[in-house]
Amino acid sequence: MISTRCAACKYLRKRCDTDCIFSPYFPSNDPLKFACVHKIFGASNVGKMLKQLPVHHRAEAANSLCFEAQSRIQDPVYGCTGIISLLQQQIYNAQKQLAIARAEIALNAHQAHLQGGSQFQQIEASSSFNNVAAEPLHVDQSFFDPPWLF
Amino acid sequence: MSVNSSGGGPCGACKFLRRRCVTGCVFAPYFDSEQGAANFAAVHKVFGASNVSKLLLHVPIHKRLDAVVTICYEAQARLRDPVYGCVSHIFALQQQVVNLQAELSYLQAHLATLELPIPSPPPPPPILVTPPPVSIADLPSASSMPTTFDLSTLFDPLVQPPWTMQQRQMDIGQFRSPPDNPASSGGGDLQALARELLHRQRSMVGSGSATSTDGSPKRDFT
Repeated sequence: MISTRCAACKYLRKRCDTDCIFSPYFPSNDPLKFACVHKIFGASNVGKMLKQLPVHHRAEAANSLCFEAQSRIQDPVYGCTGIISLLQQQIYNAQKQLAIARAEIALNAHQAHLQGGSQFQQIEASSSFNNVAAEPLHVDQSFFDPPWLF
Repeated sequence: MSVNSSGGGPCGACKFLRRRCVTGCVFAPYFDSEQGAANFAAVHKVFGASNVSKLLLHVPIHKRLDAVVTICYEAQARLRDPVYGCVSHIFALQQQVVNLQAELSYLQAHLATLELPIPSPPPPPPILVTPPPVSIADLPSASSMPTTFDLSTLFDPLVQPPWTMQQRQMDIGQFRSPPDNPASSGGGDLQALARELLHRQRSMVGSGSATSTDGSPKRDFT
C-alpha cells in the first residue's frame, strides 16, 4: 500500500487530511526537511506560522524556516547569524579590493596624463628650434656699407 | 535584553510563562524580569520555550549567551518578516557580495589592459551583467562556518569601512523580499539589544561572574 501521508504527518504519526497545512511544503520524499523544522521550531509553531500567511507565500516561508532550522542544527550557537557574519566579512574584503583597484586605475590614469603632457612639451621645443634654423638670416645690406667708409 | 544578575524574583522567561523560577533555571541568566519577558515572548512565539531550553542545554555554558542573542535575533526577524525572517538579510548580503565581485572582476580586467605596454583601445563602457537572482539553494551552509564570531559587529547593518568610496545600495525586490529591508535598517532595536546584552555580560565577566562569553574578537570587521 502506497502511503499518501506528507512527511510531517508521517513524522507525527497522524492521519494526513486533505487540508493538511504541511503537505504542500513537506512532501513524503523529503522527511529530513520536516524533521529539521520540527526539531528547532516545533510542528505547532510551524503550522501557526504557515496558517498566518497567504497561500502564495507559504512555500517560501517553509523553505526559509527549513534553512534556518538546518543552520541552527549545524551551528547551535550562531545558526543563520554565522552566515550573516561570513557574508559581511566577504563584503568587507571585496570593498577593500575594489578601493585598491580604483586607486590603481586612478594612479595609472594620472601617470598617463603626465607622460602625455611631457611628450607634448618636447615636441613643442623641437619644432621651435627647427623653425629658427629654417628661416634664413636677414641681414641689413647697409651693414656691409658702413657709413664711415668712403 | 539584560543579563539577570540579581537573585530575586522570577526571570523574564518564567514571568512570561507564569511559572515558578527554580534555581538553575536555564533562562534566568539571559532574560531578566524587566525587559526579558518581552524578549522571551518573541522567542517563545517562534521557537517555543521547550525547544529553546533543549537547545541551550546542548550548548556549553560559555557559549549560551551568544546562542541566546542569536536566537532572539532570529525570532524578532521572523516576527518582522514572517515569510523570510533573517534569511532576507542573508539574501541581500549575498546579492551584494555577487555585485561587488562582478564589479571587482571588471575593474581588475580594466586594470590589466591599462598595464599592457602596447597601446590598447579604450575599454568598453561598463556593462555589468545582472547576476542571476539568489535562491535559498545558493546560500552557504552553516557547517563550514567558523565556530566563533564577534557579535558586537554582527548586528551592524552593512558596516561600511571609512575608506569605502561609495555606499552600495541593494535592490532586493527581485528576490521577492518584504518591503522592510532588514539589510539596510538592520533593526535598530536588535542592535541595541545585542550591544546591551554583550556590554552587561562583559562587565560581569570583568567582575568575575560565572557566565561568560567569548569576548575576544575572532574577526575584526572594522
